[in-house]
Order: sequence, then structure tokens, then C-alpha cells
Amino acid sequence: MSRIIVVTSGKGGVGKTTTTSNLGAALAKQNRSVALIDADFGLRNLDLLLGLEERVVYTAIDVLAGECRLAQALVKDKRLKGLVLLPAAQNRNKESVQPEQMKKLANALAKGYDYIIIDCPAGIELGFRNAISAAEEALIVTTPEVAAVRDADRVIGLLEAEGVNKIGLIVNRVKPLMVEENKMMSVEDVLELLGVPLIGVVPDDEKVIVATNRGEPLVLGEYDSVPALAYSNIARRLEGEKVPFLDLMANQGNILSRLRRMFGG
Amino acid sequence: MNFEPTISLDKIDDVPDSSPLVNRYSQICLKHDGDQLLLVLPTQAEINSDLPWSETWQELKHLLQTKEQSWQVGTKVCLIAKDRLLDARQLQTIAETLNEVKLSLETISTNRRQTAVAAATSGYSVQQTSLSEPLNPESSEIDSPSLVLAEPLYIQSTVRSGVEIRHPGTVVICGDLNPGGKAIAAGDIFVWGRLRGIAHAGAQGNRQCRIAALQMEFTQLRIADAVARPPKLRPRRLSPELAFVTIEGIRLVKTLDFAKTYIFSSSKEAWVDKNEAK
Repeated sequence: MSRIIVVTSGKGGVGKTTTTSNLGAALAKQNRSVALIDADFGLRNLDLLLGLEERVVYTAIDVLAGECRLAQALVKDKRLKGLVLLPAAQNRNKESVQPEQMKKLANALAKGYDYIIIDCPAGIELGFRNAISAAEEALIVTTPEVAAVRDADRVIGLLEAEGVNKIGLIVNRVKPLMVEENKMMSVEDVLELLGVPLIGVVPDDEKVIVATNRGEPLVLGEYDSVPALAYSNIARRLEGEKVPFLDLMANQGNILSRLRRMFGG
Repeated sequence: MNFEPTISLDKIDDVPDSSPLVNRYSQICLKHDGDQLLLVLPTQAEINSDLPWSETWQELKHLLQTKEQSWQVGTKVCLIAKDRLLDARQLQTIAETLNEVKLSLETISTNRRQTAVAAATSGYSVQQTSLSEPLNPESSEIDSPSLVLAEPLYIQSTVRSGVEIRHPGTVVICGDLNPGGKAIAAGDIFVWGRLRGIAHAGAQGNRQCRIAALQMEFTQLRIADAVARPPKLRPRRLSPELAFVTIEGIRLVKTLDFAKTYIFSSSKEAWVDKNEAK
């Protein structure tokens, strides 16, 4: 039974594409077959983050127009067996695809892959509706900022209205130091407002930017980094494993505040 | 539509929501009528503009999902379309949406000939009414902002950002009212959770209406024509609070203390302290 998951956020720039690429890679590393769909027509980035740009020949639009077969358009990742990408067209815009067409693509891929992960564009217009049309589950990416959380809340409402009720929350770009100093919303604050189950917390890290520019998902990196571990953990939780959350606050604060946290104060 | 004629220099003033005294109850509503349910669509005039069909449909889906499912499986629904133009495809979408929550569309009441034809072709029973006469007592009640309020609306989910609940009666929200979300009621508003968005009670001008929440963290409270913003510094209170109109404006007290301390003075059109009223 394959799972169709959409990664969405409402607000732009919170890390949807980074999350999609890393989750895809992490799941493939765990011997799952994964198809990533870039639903951001006109502003495609997923191929860049995966380092597959120069190997894109056909796009989803070509498949829908009947100019190539679906299998031809899929770009296989050389580093990971089982990871493929269905690229979006860069020369078109979001109106060139309809929700039913996206559904057809995702359902066709679902026959051959364990996971179909759809990278949703920002916003809540047609591009968003295309991306969520086929999804059975959703991962909401947000950062601990008021605007991002507000948009995430709106998107959760829209997903629920569409009948997508299996929703997991990823809080991205958490800065433990700022949380400690009360300058940033904590993960608990975000959770309290959104009221959906947490599936991962990813700390802010420069390595993410380096990896993005190199076109190499962090989880494939040679050195273990905290965000890479966080993404692997999310992938394991998706698989149903119970993995404890990373204690990002562990190295913060003095002995007193740590003790206070331990006792839930 | 009872908009007060206002003289305005600013275009923004024309936005219907900016006035605290909006009498716009242009939302789809679902009510019991004997052993059937009435699904009332707002009239063309009430929706104020050509609201796209997709929005109406979205609203219907949302309504069916958040409303307490207080009906038997297979309950018949009568769609009161009034002067809305609906084609066969739109009727089919409505029927399918109702089907998802185990309701079946049976009758369509309309005063548009085209809608009646479309409904009859699709095999629904049709009640065609003329424009002048009211469709039935219930729907005329909604049209006129009368003092009789509709039955309370009970919402069993969190009201999230971007969602606006409008109801010509009392609204009970069993969940949070999140920032960016809005509840507008002609009666009282009760939030069995955190109130973080905007709540407007007594939207038809009744200053006696109150707003209660387990935790008050609102963006804005409005009762009738009074508006209140949260103070800059507010102690985080753990007890449920209630907002009401006094002579000085909107006030918050502990819900527990309200009933024994305050009484509504109709001459002053505000709640006053019982001890001072003596």
C-alpha cells in the first residue's frame, strides 16, 4: 500500500522543498521506493536541491500532453536506488495543470512506489489545490514565526475541508539559543496553536544552505549533522517507528534552567 | 441588507466587514424542519456580489464537517435555493457533498425558472415559488433581522485562520478560535477553548450579548457597536473569563463572578454593578 503525502506550508521560504528532498532521500536510504513530484510549476526547485537538474529531459507537462511515457519523465537518482523525481515544467505556470491531472499522475506513480511525496508551491491558489488533490496525508512545514504559523493554520483548515485529515507537523529552523532567551516561539507554542501531531523538529543550521547549494540532500552527506539526523528521524516516524525527539535545548542554558525544564517548570 | 447610509471619503469604508454593525448573514445554513433538513443558500442580494461557485461549495463542505452531526443516516434534505441560479452540475456537486455525510438531497425549492428546470431534469422534486411570497416561515425569519434568534450553532472543531463563522444566533465553539479566525453572532459567543481571534457578539446591535471563553487571548472583541483590543500587558489568567458591555465599554471579568455581580440595565443599555444599581 503506497502512501501519497503532500508537503505544504502556505507561506513561502519555510523549507518545503528542502524537507521534500531530504525526506525522499532518507526514506530511500531506508530501502523504500520513493517518487518525488515537484508541483511547483513555473518555479521548480526540487531538481536543483537533489542535484538532478542536468538530467531532466521530460516534465510532468509532457507526460500529461502525451509526448512521453511517465517512466521516461522520471529522473532516477544515481546515488540512491529507489529515489525518482517527476520534474515540473519551468516554462509554464500553475494554470497549465488541473487537479484531476495531478491526481492521475500521483495515482499512476502509486502503483510502482511505496511513497509519493508531492512538493507543494507556496500560496493557497490553484497550485496548492493541484498539489493536494491527490494527497491522502499531509506534512505541514512551518518555522517558529508568527506569520508562518498563521499561514500553516489556514492551510490545515483548507486540508481538513478537503478531507485530508492525517496531518503531521514539522517545525523547521528552530534556534534553541533564541528560544532559551524567549526571543523565538518555542515548539510547544506552535503545537499549542496548531493542534496537530508533531512529527519532527529541525534545527536551524548553516549546513542546510551548503547542502542545498551543492545539490546534495543533507541525509546523504558524509558527516552527520543534527538536521540530517532530524530528517532521518522524521522518515523513521513516517515508517511507524517510535523515535524520541532530539533534545535541541540540551546544550542551552545553565544548570538551573536545565533542571527547571527537566521538572517541567 | 440594512446598511446605514454612510458618507465616506475612503473606499475602504465600503468593505462590508469594516462596520461593526454588519447585518450580513450571508452564509449557508442548515436547520432541522420536522424529519427533514433545510439547506438554505443565501440569496443573490445577500452574497452582495458574484461570489464564485467554488467558494459556496467550499463553505458548504466546511459547514457539513464542522457542524455537529445531529442527523440520522439518510435524512432527506430540502435545498432552499431562493433566487440563486444553479445548473445541473452544481446540483450534482451539492448532492454528492451531502452524500459524503450520509444525507440525501430530495427537494429543491427555488424561485428561478432555470434552476427549477435543471432540478427537475436531474430528477429532484421541485417547489417553485414566486419572488414575492416568502418560501416558508423559517427562511423569511432569516431575511429580516428580527429579534428572534436562530437556534444556536454548535461547532465541534477549531476555527482556524481564514475561517469566518457567521450566524444569526448564539455560537458555541467546542475548540479554539485561532488568530485570523472570526466568529460573528447575533447572539452570544461561547468558546470552549482559547479565544485568540476575533469574536463579535450581538452583531445586530444587541448590547446585552456576551462573549465567554475558557482562555481569553483575543485579537479583538466586539459586542454590538463596541470594540475592544487586548491591553499591551495582560496577566496570564487561568480562569475562564467573560466579556460584556458596560457604560465605559467592554469589560472582562471572571465568569464565576459575573452572574452574581452584574445586571443588565435596559435604560443605560449596558451591564451595571448590582450594588451600584440599588
